[in-house]
Amino acid sequence: MLVLQAIIDGVLVGGFYALMAGGLTLVFGVMEIVNFAQGILVVLGAYLSYALYSHLSIDPFLGLVITVPAMFLIGIAVYWSMIKPIKQERVIMSLLVMFAVGTVIEGVLDLIFTSNLVEIHTSYVNTSVSVGRLIFPDVYLFAFAMSILLLGGTYYLLYRTRFGRSLRATMQNPTAARLVGINTDWVSAFTLGIGVALAAAGGMVFGQTNSFDAASSYDLISRLLAIVILGGFGSLGGALIASILMLVIQDVVAVVWSPTWGQTTFYIVLVLVLLLRPQGLLGRKAVRAQ
Amino acid sequence: MVAALVAAACGSSGSSSGSGNSSGPITIGISVSLSGDFSGDGLATKQGYETWAAYQNAHGGILGRKIKLDILSDGSSPTQVVTNYQKLITVSHVNFVVGPYSTLLTKPASAIANRYGFVMIEGIGGGPSVFQQGLKNVFDVSASAKFQMITFAKWLAANHKPEKVAYASMTDPFLQPELDGARSYLTAHGFPSAVYKLYPLETTDYTPIASAIAASKAQVVVLGTMPPDGYAFIQDLIQDKYSPQVLAEASGPDQGAAFVKAVGASNTSGIMVPNTWFPGSTFYQNAAMVQLYLKMFGGTANNISADVAEAFSAGEVLTQAADHIKSTSNSKLESYLHSNVTFQSVQGPVKFLPDGENGAATPFMFQWQQGTLQDVLPAGVGSPKPVMAVKPAWGAGA
Amino acid sequence: MTALDVTPVGAAAPEHIPYDLPKPVRWGGTSLVLVLLAAFPLLFPNPAVTSIGVFTMIFLVAACGWNIFSGYSGYISIGHAAYYGIGQYTVALVVLHLKVAAGWDSFELLPLAGLVAAVLAVPIGFLLLRVRKHTFIILTVAVMFILQLLAFNLTSWTNGSGGLELPFPTWTGSFFNEPFYYVGLAAAVVACVISWWVRGSKYGLGLLSIRDDEERARGLGIKATPTKLIAYAMSAFFVGIAGGLYVTFVGSVYPQFGFDPNFDLAVAVLVFVGGIGTLSGPVIGALLLIPLQQYFYLQFGNANLFLIAYGVLFILILRLLPGGIAPAVTQLWRRFLVARMLRAAEPPRPPGGDRATPAAATAAEGRDETP
Repeated sequence: MLVLQAIIDGVLVGGFYALMAGGLTLVFGVMEIVNFAQGILVVLGAYLSYALYSHLSIDPFLGLVITVPAMFLIGIAVYWSMIKPIKQERVIMSLLVMFAVGTVIEGVLDLIFTSNLVEIHTSYVNTSVSVGRLIFPDVYLFAFAMSILLLGGTYYLLYRTRFGRSLRATMQNPTAARLVGINTDWVSAFTLGIGVALAAAGGMVFGQTNSFDAASSYDLISRLLAIVILGGFGSLGGALIASILMLVIQDVVAVVWSPTWGQTTFYIVLVLVLLLRPQGLLGRKAVRAQ
Repeated sequence: MVAALVAAACGSSGSSSGSGNSSGPITIGISVSLSGDFSGDGLATKQGYETWAAYQNAHGGILGRKIKLDILSDGSSPTQVVTNYQKLITVSHVNFVVGPYSTLLTKPASAIANRYGFVMIEGIGGGPSVFQQGLKNVFDVSASAKFQMITFAKWLAANHKPEKVAYASMTDPFLQPELDGARSYLTAHGFPSAVYKLYPLETTDYTPIASAIAASKAQVVVLGTMPPDGYAFIQDLIQDKYSPQVLAEASGPDQGAAFVKAVGASNTSGIMVPNTWFPGSTFYQNAAMVQLYLKMFGGTANNISADVAEAFSAGEVLTQAADHIKSTSNSKLESYLHSNVTFQSVQGPVKFLPDGENGAATPFMFQWQQGTLQDVLPAGVGSPKPVMAVKPAWGAGA
Repeated sequence: MTALDVTPVGAAAPEHIPYDLPKPVRWGGTSLVLVLLAAFPLLFPNPAVTSIGVFTMIFLVAACGWNIFSGYSGYISIGHAAYYGIGQYTVALVVLHLKVAAGWDSFELLPLAGLVAAVLAVPIGFLLLRVRKHTFIILTVAVMFILQLLAFNLTSWTNGSGGLELPFPTWTGSFFNEPFYYVGLAAAVVACVISWWVRGSKYGLGLLSIRDDEERARGLGIKATPTKLIAYAMSAFFVGIAGGLYVTFVGSVYPQFGFDPNFDLAVAVLVFVGGIGTLSGPVIGALLLIPLQQYFYLQFGNANLFLIAYGVLFILILRLLPGGIAPAVTQLWRRFLVARMLRAAEPPRPPGGDRATPAAATAAEGRDETP
């Protein structure tokens, strides 16, 4: 029974981790850049939702109407100012640039909000639905529903719209895409915008379920990166499966054995999977040389 | 940058044991964590020292000389602590140094102080590793980790028949010994452990552990938490619709208004938390400290962090000792502190054991009753309220 | 020919552009730096300053070691803290279990720390090097976190979050830092010499060719996996030594400070700033950034501003000097050479004209060697 509850917890929490990881994997798939700032961007999203809630009493879920577009624009701005100018070695340079950007954002957040831990306390944070002896916390139910919606929407965007076609084309072969007339710069900018916007949504949930401050980003980014590798770069579905898998493994191990081994087990699973499938669960077959 | 190093070097002439001049201010060197993992507490620590310095300066300073604080930031990093205290001692030539925040940082800090023959009085580094170094210069004015929950354990054993207890704690050098201290006492008195889960610092999801606790149906739950996990556990237990009869957390419920906001006012009743200090206590200089702190930093008395009191206590002990030996010599100070003298502080009496722990420390136990945190244990010290024996169900108390 | 090309970072390095500063400058510069470093504690005996010096040496050893792998092979690892931590724990455990005396004796354990790290690097590296570069970067982080979590969990060995404490040497206050400094300097010199040797050797050529184009290198018969693995193990060796030095200096090891992500990022940043893949890059980066960072803390206290300043500085450097400082210096030198050549190619002026030597343009071509 306990294990079943743990699995449920893992699935629900994994759902919203998929939001944050989804943004990361998409960005890497399209532009081959590792957005090392994703962790701090999630925290930024959390702070934005927190500020709206505590000063203007706007419910965090509703507040997404403001935070998501705002973060989308931030993503675009970051692309044009930071990523586009990189001319050489995009993978490594972008990683370092995003790390630097993340550091600056962290410093600014720390300055504004100080390092006091905060949390968004809505009325539904403590309530839950029970089915038999199983508990489904309300906030996670809402978050899970929202994640499916957003990820589904993004998937629709990718596979049913013209923009999505352009994006996938850029993912597969940027040069060819450009030859066909696709403006890969705008595609990339939009993609980063989407990635950051998803981070905003994930951040809103993160802010409700965790006490956080600017330094919370480090642990987050390492988990997100692990999820993305496991799921396979560029695959939204992979991110979802990997997130759920990670959280379920962690929670079940915590219950059955010990919480201290939960995360370790996940990382070990990650390494094992990668030995057998270096491209991750749903990633494309990797080209060996670089 | 090289020029800066040269300037720093030229500002000194080798090292000395900080005698400074014999008039002019007495300088106290401190490294606090103003950023990084410990920054919230680091800030409170700094405020505590500043309050003490302001108070003491209005009362004649130390040995008739004004106190001047030389504060450096260490970003919660042991590397920086190493450099900071070396600079304070050998470049800034402070007269004394006092401790940083946390066991993790106090350890290297005390080693460096020892190297230069400095005493390190501190209030916030009570993990066993600090005292196991075999150094003679460390003096912790607060109750060390393993004693913090003993008051609670003693009360439970005296008032309850042996029953299952569920334990969970962060694997922290302070919190875990704290929890283990209570656990060993209770186990020795016949209370079995239904659950004993340790979780790492980076855990963000406590639901599995909370579920395990709920499933055990243990009516006594003891948690070695910091505030974030302290709040999260309560939320998770509420979500699990599980209300134990006794719930004690190492920290979280001691955060005043932040705690009430985090868990909801109707859920606080009956929750217990240890603390070495509370605003209403009548120990030495406490009322004055609270008043001065509020004047300097604002807020309400209930929001004053215990770190403030711990830092202030360190300052008080320094004052009393230095005034007694009538000297700024660190070696004389060390001998005096080891001479079984009892000092007074806002946290109660202070008397140092040979390894530097405070043997006279009285860890209090507090309980939320009707919306305020009340001192309930130990019975007979100060004016405690009676303990609420059974915690009300979630949502019922306020 | 555009002499103003941005120096490539880790990617294909054009082969026929003369990069070098003249040999006397390079050798002279190196000797000067060496003498200054050796004299440093004598000139500035203040312990606060030498303390910064010790940390600088630790990072210097680590940076040189890291550069041997990530710089020369093009596989960026941001998980080398795995070996930093292994080095720390090795020394700590041996000291505690074999009761090694603190002080000079404990320095004998440094090579052991390096060796253990290198030995463990072989299987780890073998597993990691099977994936492509992008995945590799992140896998290194994952491995580092696994080790950190193991350090937290295997409490009977590592004492988990309580960490391990080492005894301190009984040297007096003002002298204490100096042995650490000199040992660190010695290790750094060894690391740099090895780095220099690798760069100039046939083995190194193979490594660099992997950086430039791995498929082609394989096609030319280079055994990529053993080549990369050897470099990986070498880098782990030096990072492990850095860890051993750190733990004997600070006196304790904890999982989060042994397997410390900040260490990885710091090393990557300072090597990039100095010039990744170059010989002097790590040296420049370490000598510049580590004292700067500690100085910032001492002066500015408020570390929020520090984070912002650090981030902005890094962004600026990445924009303006994407190759790092060392290549930028060689860039300037090349521009100077080209300017000289162009002047020499002008019709000779009436008496008193320049006599530039076209021979400058025939500086050794081929491998790009920066001092």
